[in-house]
Amino acid sequence: MNSLSRAMNNLPRATNHPPNRRQVLALAATAMLPIAARAASLRVAAIDWGMLETLLALGIEPVAATELIQFRKLAVEPEVPRSVTDLGLRGTPNYELLRIVAPDLVAISSFYEYQRPMLERIAPVFAQTVYEPGTPPYPLAEAATLALGEKLGRQAEAKRYVDETAVETTRLRAILPAAAGRPVFVISLGDSRHFRAFGRDSMFGDVLLRLGLENAWADVTRYSAAAPVGLEALARVPDASILVVSPLPADVGRSLPENALWNALPAVREGRVALLEPINHFGCLPSARRFARLVSAALAGQTHG
Amino acid sequence: MADRAMTQRATTGHALSPIALWGLLGAVAALLFAWRVSMQSPTAPTSDGAGLDRVILLYSTLPRAAVAVLAGAVLGLSGLLLQRVLRNPLAEPSTLGISAGAQLAMTAASVYAPFLMERSQGPVAFAGGIAAVLLVLSLTWRRGLEPVSVVLAGMMVALTASSISAALILANGDYLFSLFIWGGGSLVQQDWGPAIALSTRLAVGAGAALLLLRPLTILGLDDASARSLGIARHTSRFLIIALAVWMATTVVAEVGVIGFVGLAAPALATLSGARTLRQKLLAAPLIGAILLWLTDGLVQLAAGAGGERIPTGAGTALLGGPVLLWLLRRLRLLEWPNLSTSGTSPRKSGRSIILLLFLMTLLAAVVALVVGRGPAGWSIAGGDILADLVAWRAPRIGVAAAAGAMLAAAGLVIQRITGNPLASPEVLGVGTGAGAGLTAVLALSATAGPGLQLVGSILGSLAVLIAMLIIAARAKFGSERLLLAGIAMSALCSAVITAAIAMGNTQSYVLLRWLSGSTSQATGFDAWLTLACLILLTLPLFLAARWLDILPLGEDTARGLGLPVAGGRLTLIVLAAILTALAAMFVGPLSFVGLIAPHLARLIGFTRARPHLAGAVLTGALLMIVSDWLSRMVAFPYELPVGLIASLLGGPYLVHLLAKGMPRHG
Repeated sequence: MNSLSRAMNNLPRATNHPPNRRQVLALAATAMLPIAARAASLRVAAIDWGMLETLLALGIEPVAATELIQFRKLAVEPEVPRSVTDLGLRGTPNYELLRIVAPDLVAISSFYEYQRPMLERIAPVFAQTVYEPGTPPYPLAEAATLALGEKLGRQAEAKRYVDETAVETTRLRAILPAAAGRPVFVISLGDSRHFRAFGRDSMFGDVLLRLGLENAWADVTRYSAAAPVGLEALARVPDASILVVSPLPADVGRSLPENALWNALPAVREGRVALLEPINHFGCLPSARRFARLVSAALAGQTHG
Repeated sequence: MADRAMTQRATTGHALSPIALWGLLGAVAALLFAWRVSMQSPTAPTSDGAGLDRVILLYSTLPRAAVAVLAGAVLGLSGLLLQRVLRNPLAEPSTLGISAGAQLAMTAASVYAPFLMERSQGPVAFAGGIAAVLLVLSLTWRRGLEPVSVVLAGMMVALTASSISAALILANGDYLFSLFIWGGGSLVQQDWGPAIALSTRLAVGAGAALLLLRPLTILGLDDASARSLGIARHTSRFLIIALAVWMATTVVAEVGVIGFVGLAAPALATLSGARTLRQKLLAAPLIGAILLWLTDGLVQLAAGAGGERIPTGAGTALLGGPVLLWLLRRLRLLEWPNLSTSGTSPRKSGRSIILLLFLMTLLAAVVALVVGRGPAGWSIAGGDILADLVAWRAPRIGVAAAAGAMLAAAGLVIQRITGNPLASPEVLGVGTGAGAGLTAVLALSATAGPGLQLVGSILGSLAVLIAMLIIAARAKFGSERLLLAGIAMSALCSAVITAAIAMGNTQSYVLLRWLSGSTSQATGFDAWLTLACLILLTLPLFLAARWLDILPLGEDTARGLGLPVAGGRLTLIVLAAILTALAAMFVGPLSFVGLIAPHLARLIGFTRARPHLAGAVLTGALLMIVSDWLSRMVAFPYELPVGLIASLLGGPYLVHLLAKGMPRHG
């Protein structure tokens, strides 16, 4: 009983005043969380990682987003400020916590449409479709960026970011070494025997094309990638280079160098394999940009040594 | 003379027929393999591609076939040894928790001690497997390793271990997706390492089994004879178990969990006429090898350019499941006394205990409603904040309670109809059957709404339940046989779901969400709807309590007491199927509340149907409310699947109760 009453005393004092409930929650939230840098703009929460990176790229600090521990490890950039609240898993975000954060807008992608009824009880939902089976995602990501800018009154920033990304891609394409004219596999490793291949309708595949490179994985994909595929499928295009997107599973570092078939692949024998730093698989323009930069650095490195 | 020769040939021909069958299946597997090789044989020897074709043939196609044959043989031998030593036809690496234990050890090692995984995957897997089996054996020691208890404890340990594996992966933020896609059981090879490792295991295992032929034969007898024949029972038992675990965990470490072969191969060996131990030692590994080789051939046949549709380890269930279901009637098993009436004395004060359970459930609901975590830490909500949070928390609590209660009621009905204390929606595959129904609906229409999805689930679980009972009704089915059929059916339905998830389309995400189970999207409407359904569906059960009391006594007794046996049974089955499918929509098929809740209620002391039902329903609701609350609290703000927490909570408790509570009988 004692501990119960003590806990009751620890409640935010705001509960004793009866004003409007929404205000109370917002007040409680501001007491606990640093306010976003620009108080004037809308307070946005992002369920989708692509939306999160786009927000950050436009200079908007979201109040909350999902799976930040993994985002910092797997998407890496843009850097997420410590003040952004982690809402938990993308598939089952913590609605109670989101309610306390009380954003003015929740940004999702079509992946999370099923969450809409719950999210709309908290704030209006802004949804964009970037990934559709069979459709190259880059133009859709551009459209999503502009739409988000429009929604948040950052049209100029959004336009600038879209243009900058296009210019950057063109620039990287121009400086790509001539030797990089080979087809390229972009894969991630699930274990030491299987990989996930990124196809035409993935962001990686689309950016490859924009860099003037040929995607060596011409086969079908299911939702932008094909997985799991046995490593022997890499032998289908003998003259291709292989780009492996990090991270590698724990045992792969030991077992891959011992893998006879892997070692027999022309790309491996001839040193045409590169390990890329982690990149968000289902990202928007910031991921596309990061990918373009890492790919051209890796291919430049290959021709040099 | 000619006549005699004829009859002789006829008899030997008859005796040979199972061998012919297996020879035929082996030939099909070999043909598939030959087709595969011919596809890859170098056709244009000049180009660089031809050199690669040779490499693929040498380091991929050939070792893959070798691994299929070897892993199948190793699992068949391992299963046979375990079944023999434990005198338990259901014992095998999966049902004893060995595979799940090995997998947990490997998951834990790759999260917390990656260097261990880099250097010594095999020993890590063995440690996990042996720990699981030792746990199972020590828990059931006092019951004299009675087969049904051993398998129950084994399945609980397996379930708990795989729940912890899943929790570990999730707590590190990886998607469930990776868990299913890379879940293992794929036989893809790129060098000879695994094949060599497996062949040494097989050689050592077979050699040791032949050396231990005498003790093995004697251990197959009962304890008293073994003792009088002077075998150091426990030492040799333990050595053989360790050998079997070593073999099975090597398979887990090299290619992942491969279901079903360890169980099916020895059973099929017996069915095919292997009588003596020596025959079985030859037949079980052979049959295991043929099963896995054939399955792998078919899996590769079905594979497209975008990768295989289904890992071979799950595919074994698609092939072996129906085979075992079909042959099960012919399988001779030793039947053990039923657990159903053991160890409990009827309570006099049932009413007060039900009241206590009700109050506990209510208390849990209230606590779940007001106690929570926020950005500032733990808090007890009150006033306006509570009023606001109730809109979010109450539907989840309502749905969780209703789902738990429904599973408990379904479990109780199934246990009473079959007279089998281990039967439950989860064990008999009724829950995964709902998933198979859902898969079928989604395959027909990608945009099927919740109503249609529910209808599909109900039809799926109903089909499975009816199939199980038809199998059970034929040829005087004992409890082991029904459980075997249930394991086969469950594996079959899971394989269908896995295959659909591996397609990677929009429907896969629906199935994946269904499989992991979450109350997170529950609305107030859902809560009222499920609670209304609960009342609507369990009320008839309370009214039919007399049927539930009498049906376990057998058909003749029931008919003698004037019960409409067929009609009564059908009504109960339909109710149980609807209850299971509805509950699975919210908490997934894997919670095991349907098994645990009726058991707990029985262990508390409820024996008559009506109080037993009330006790089970309340226990189920209580378990699920607590699980749902914990799933939100444990890793805040990350929310874990509720079914996972429920099995983590209920599994160990049931195992504990089994170990200590129920006295030995028979």
